[in-house]
Amino acid sequence: MYALCDVNSMYASCEKVFDPAIRQRPVVVLTNNDGCICAACGIAKKMGVGKKFVPYFQVRDELEQAGAVIRSSNYELYADMSQRFMDTCTAFAPHSHIYSIDECFLYYGHHYQPAEGWLEHAKQIRRTVWKHVRLPIGVGIASTPTLAKAANHAAKRIPGFNGVAVISDDRVRKHVLSHMAVTDVWGVGRRTGKRLNELGIVSAWDLSRAPSGLIRKQFNILLENTLHELNGVVKLSWDEVRSPKKEIFSTRSFGQRVTDREQLRQAIITHVEIAARKLRKQQSLTKNILVFASNSPHDAVPYYRRSLVHSFPAYTADTTVLAHAASQLLAWIYRPGVRFYKCGVGLLNISAEANYQPDLFTGQPDNRALMQCLDNINGRYGRDTIHLAGRGIQQQFAMKRQFLSSQYTTRLSDLPVIQC
Amino acid sequence: MLKFIPLKAQAGISGFESPAAEYTQLNLTLDQILIDHPAATYLGFVEGESMIGVGIFPHDLLVVSRAETVKSGDIIVATLNGNFVCKIADIKGKKLISSAPGSHAYQLKEGDDFIVEGVVTRSIRLHRPLTRGLS
Repeated sequence: MYALCDVNSMYASCEKVFDPAIRQRPVVVLTNNDGCICAACGIAKKMGVGKKFVPYFQVRDELEQAGAVIRSSNYELYADMSQRFMDTCTAFAPHSHIYSIDECFLYYGHHYQPAEGWLEHAKQIRRTVWKHVRLPIGVGIASTPTLAKAANHAAKRIPGFNGVAVISDDRVRKHVLSHMAVTDVWGVGRRTGKRLNELGIVSAWDLSRAPSGLIRKQFNILLENTLHELNGVVKLSWDEVRSPKKEIFSTRSFGQRVTDREQLRQAIITHVEIAARKLRKQQSLTKNILVFASNSPHDAVPYYRRSLVHSFPAYTADTTVLAHAASQLLAWIYRPGVRFYKCGVGLLNISAEANYQPDLFTGQPDNRALMQCLDNINGRYGRDTIHLAGRGIQQQFAMKRQFLSSQYTTRLSDLPVIQC
Repeated sequence: MLKFIPLKAQAGISGFESPAAEYTQLNLTLDQILIDHPAATYLGFVEGESMIGVGIFPHDLLVVSRAETVKSGDIIVATLNGNFVCKIADIKGKKLISSAPGSHAYQLKEGDDFIVEGVVTRSIRLHRPLTRGLS
């Protein structure tokens, strides 16, 4: 059996753990630079405020009227709370995989049966995470990863489940899948969903009943696998569930608009460093780098956005190689007079280092020993202990986080105060 | 966290290793000694003097574990009407007891917003104030 545990409104919930005064209030968290809403707690959602990705300035008055508590994204806090959530969940099963900051899969093997029964087991995980970490979670348990995702969806969205759902027999499976839109199925995107709707496949149950050959012909084998998984046949191997990312992005908006070419370059190189570190961490190489920069669509001037892709002759994971390419691309992206609001890089076309076949003629440009050394030093003494000089020493584009809460668990001066 | 540097005790004469040498490695950190359930443990600073009777003074550091089950008589941290408070739990009497001389117990009433947040498993006296990591 597989379990999927995930935190309800992760960011907003984290804000409440160490601030009991806001636990009964609507809490809304903003993205980088306080640009848009990225999370809202259950109370806020019930009041109809805090829709995701709405620019903050558009709804400022509305939020104020609702008495909402506004917070900037406190990544230090969320990362630490995420770690605690993962540690607590993964203690329940022999195998686990951290899927995202607020989601993890547990795998129990084929024959394991908890003495207390699956439903009680799911409740135990949920209770324990609430007690130990003070985060509300949903738990879905089923015989395939895709069904576990569906069970998790049911746990939170379908009335009667109250945070835990176990798909243990066909009756429950039918109930859950027929109450679920096909677009809510794991791996079904919006576009695929639309095409499925046109074929009359509206619910997850419809997809599970569709002829598998047709799905493969009209779509692809991945969707056919999803169909089988919905019917309880495991098609995703444990390795695929936790397959490394195929694309890595690092993007961010600036605290203040940037008009200086050198500053923009420094920001881009910072993103290269972040993305390259992630790339090496998952032991992959990349063939393409994308660099982009834009002004804000909310500025009064015409929208400007430019993105370019560079293709390397050989796969690489070397920060200096990537940074050099990004610098070259920047010459085509930068334009004087544009007040840049956002920039970033993406590593596309990623391949596992283990599968890499070197090319006899192009050779390998990477200095792997140097990169290893860089990662070791930064791993040990803290991120950014050493970095490329091209990134600048004093960065002037730090994030704007006007409504930032304390780093209650990771900074000595921010520890909570307890009244005696 | 703090790492102890393993030092070997040595006698003045070379050639003979101290027989105590193999006992000198205390390869523990304070985390390992003081924290039983890392994922469920939090730190907080003390403000106020109502727990002096059990040796908890202003500016002390409390180690709070959410993994423990509360028993009557435990020193606990709870949220009471929007604040974190540290008191002694009287489960039967539904009271929060202070330990300073002359202080009164707080009787929990209907309508109080009250949740136990954890058990104080350790308290740390900072005989000299912390200087590092406070920036």
